[in-house]
Amino acid sequence: MPQTNATTPAPAKPKPPVAPPQLQEGDISKLDSQGLLKILTDVSSEFQKAKACQRAGELGATAAIPALAALLGDDKLGTYARYGLEPMHVPAADEALRSALSRLKGNLLIGVIGSIGKRRDVLALPALIKLMRSTDASVAQAAVAAIGNIGTSESASALQALLPKATGMMKIVVADAGLTCAERLLSAGKREQGLALYTFLSGPDTPRAARHGAMNAIVREETSLTRPRTAL
Amino acid sequence: MTTRRQVLKSSIAPMIVPSYVLGQRSGNVAPSDKVVMGGIGIGSRGAHDLSKILKFQDAKFLAICDVRNERRETIKSTVDQAYGNRDCKMYSDQFELLARTDIDAVLIATGDRWHTPLSIIAAQHGKDVYCEKPCSMSIEESWALAETFRRYNRLYQAGCQRRNGANFKLCRELLQSGALGKLKALYANVGPSANWPPLPSRDWLEGQELPPNGLLDWDRWLGPAPWRPYHPSYVQGGWRNYYDFHGGGILEWGSHTVDLCHWAANLDETQPIEYEPVGGNTGPYSVNCVYANGVKLVMRDNAWDGALDTGSCSFRIEGDLGWVETGDKTKIEASSNIKPLLRPTEAAAMALENHMREFVTCVRTRTTPSANASAAANSHVTCHAAFIAFQRGKTLSWSVEKREFTNDEIANRMRSRAIREPWRI
Repeated sequence: MPQTNATTPAPAKPKPPVAPPQLQEGDISKLDSQGLLKILTDVSSEFQKAKACQRAGELGATAAIPALAALLGDDKLGTYARYGLEPMHVPAADEALRSALSRLKGNLLIGVIGSIGKRRDVLALPALIKLMRSTDASVAQAAVAAIGNIGTSESASALQALLPKATGMMKIVVADAGLTCAERLLSAGKREQGLALYTFLSGPDTPRAARHGAMNAIVREETSLTRPRTAL
Repeated sequence: MTTRRQVLKSSIAPMIVPSYVLGQRSGNVAPSDKVVMGGIGIGSRGAHDLSKILKFQDAKFLAICDVRNERRETIKSTVDQAYGNRDCKMYSDQFELLARTDIDAVLIATGDRWHTPLSIIAAQHGKDVYCEKPCSMSIEESWALAETFRRYNRLYQAGCQRRNGANFKLCRELLQSGALGKLKALYANVGPSANWPPLPSRDWLEGQELPPNGLLDWDRWLGPAPWRPYHPSYVQGGWRNYYDFHGGGILEWGSHTVDLCHWAANLDETQPIEYEPVGGNTGPYSVNCVYANGVKLVMRDNAWDGALDTGSCSFRIEGDLGWVETGDKTKIEASSNIKPLLRPTEAAAMALENHMREFVTCVRTRTTPSANASAAANSHVTCHAAFIAFQRGKTLSWSVEKREFTNDEIANRMRSRAIREPWRI
């Protein structure tokens, strides 16, 4: 076999900078629910709270939900608070996120909307449909994406009503949400509704990339071996 | 009244098309048949990818987007010099680049945290994507990536170039031809703990002043990763080995070598069902995995070049009749009964050019690249599951159908990471 020097050499290792003691996670990673809650509610540093949020989410420390909810409005820690809340599959986490919709603005609101969409919280739909008409275009787009991800019949109707009026980036986001919503409907066994949404998205109002996606999905669905068939 | 001569004159004129437009000069490709590309976040690795694109007659690189002024200028200069013009346009906002309807495909070579969100945004804008690895930051992102590219019917090639390396292909051929017998085990060398420990740090570096004059957009550099104070080390490549930016040694190399194992054994559409972590953060470490069909996958810290000195990113296939192992040094080690079947191969270093070549050809012909989004999702989910098992320090069981761990709720909560606003996947 040919012997070459083509191998990637091991990278030289300059000494990396070291985190100062106050910015090292250390024992925070080993704390239980109560220990994490103490950090989140005491006078702790930004760093300690950030780490406590992440570990609370992983641990499923539901006792920390109110403390995490209180940090959703923090410019730097808002993401960390959602890191904590997103994976907690209890209604209290949904309620915490939902109640933040009315008190946050800008990017922090966008973050919360994204988490709600990820968790597919159906109870948040009415608020999201209102936010879909926000004058802050980024907030409106985030709401649209979340509505598509929740993916109910109500989501489909809201998106279909909005698409013809949307322009520019908003149109791309609405069409994308429509495609996601159609997939959710199909997964939920609502085949006719899913196909109807795809058909709608195949129309001239839809941006080209999503229109092609919708047409492709119709062909894929109609030719699928597992599709329902009419009895002969 | 129009004469016959006038009609002929007016109709012939538009029919005269320069030969270069039709690609009729020797070796030329018509501009209309060229894949027009742009790049986002091109650092040292991306520049290597770009150097291959610039060699292709049927591709044209026309735009660069980067949050660093200096990198934008460097890439523009490289591209303009290669083409002998000044056509490469610079952007600091990816949406402006992606809005260009003349761009067919993008090269994404940012830090790992940006790979999935940017790939998804590109697909939503109708672009095909070549993206460096690791392709995702979590199990959730891996699935979102595959679903988006399926949804938009766009083409995706992960930067897992060894799929197009001749020595790696020969090993695969030996398995698939039956020469190695029934597949027993696959070995994927993962990032050596001396370079990338399996447990990246969750610490922060002490914050420092941002560079003056807007030379760096720190907010955009962080992108979907959670906020932390600025430190120049992150921007200079030191982001690796920090949990918020990196998946440690398992993702660093596993995204290549687990990918090779899946490809060689036709396991591109599945994942192992069990993950047993062994060893500590200072290494050597391994994660022993088992697929539903009983085949073993061992992700192992085997030092940089491997115990058999086959080079970086080595992988090994063991069947009941024989074994083979190869890596970036091109040479193939094998059991004595397999050695007579080996033949010289081109250098492993050619893999990247072949891989990029495959991508450009696929874009032109609308065929699926070998390292497509679905294959990438499955190999990355495998790596992330192993990474989570290592963090949990216990053996985890995984349901391929339900896409969840069946014996650990904490592990399930680690399948996704919150994304910093205003980004989303």
